[in-house]
Amino acid sequence: MAEFACRLKKYRQLKNLTQEQLAERVGVRRETIMRLEKAQYNPSLKLAIDISRAVEAPIEEIFIFP
Amino acid sequence: MKKNKVKLWAGCGIFCIAAMVLSTWYAVTFNDSRLVVPMDFGSYSFIPQDLPMLLSVSLFGLYALALCFLLVRSIRKNKRDTTRTNRSRRVHPRLGFLGLLGFLGFAGFWAYPATGDVSPFLFFLFFGFFGFFYEGKMSGTLMDERFRENAARAQLITYRTTFSITLLALLILCQGKLLGSLEYTLIATIIVLSLTLALGMFLPEYLLYRYDHDDRIEEGEE
Repeated sequence: MAEFACRLKKYRQLKNLTQEQLAERVGVRRETIMRLEKAQYNPSLKLAIDISRAVEAPIEEIFIFP
Repeated sequence: MKKNKVKLWAGCGIFCIAAMVLSTWYAVTFNDSRLVVPMDFGSYSFIPQDLPMLLSVSLFGLYALALCFLLVRSIRKNKRDTTRTNRSRRVHPRLGFLGLLGFLGFAGFWAYPATGDVSPFLFFLFFGFFGFFYEGKMSGTLMDERFRENAARAQLITYRTTFSITLLALLILCQGKLLGSLEYTLIATIIVLSLTLALGMFLPEYLLYRYDHDDRIEEGEE
């Protein structure tokens, strides 16, 4: 799996969303959001876009690939 | 299925079995055991005393057909629900106890010398039903992309494992006669293939559960 840094937690907290709420908005399980925040799961492009829209932040700001 | 319907179907089953027992008793007591003991159906001619046995057998056949119909309908409904709700199918973990039927496979070691029948060895396939324990635990889970990815990973590992075992076993067994008998070789083949297929049923469910379970250990709630 490609290594990357993830700033999802920061942007999620800025929007006052819990993991559960964000998961519901983007149609995944809470465990998936948790893994994403720990950069242990590489999301599909669709999920990345959905998350970016949900937290209203650009994809490249949330997922940082070296 | 609602509890009332289950009770109704169980009641019908009990009625069918009771009808069968009664008609067998009638045939044995008043009809020279006709249609109970093996007989030549080529020269069969109907007599009114056969009616109870014919009716009860027909009734039992209809009941069995209806049960099959219900099973197929339930499987289709389950599949439709899975697609519609995007959640894994609902299975009770207790179904995993069906895996115990796998031990009936050992009956083959008694049946083969006694009757020459190798089919009991196929019961080893039932060991695969132990997978229901894990499928039941993951029952009704939202199938998001990570779930599907894990499921695909589990399936891939299962295929690799089962194909490797099958290939290795066939390679060894095809070397020649086992204990000097070709029959033993073929029996060993049936056993290995049954056990491998059982593993193929069990392993994807177990691995999927493990992948998901391992994730949960590290999780942090917010």
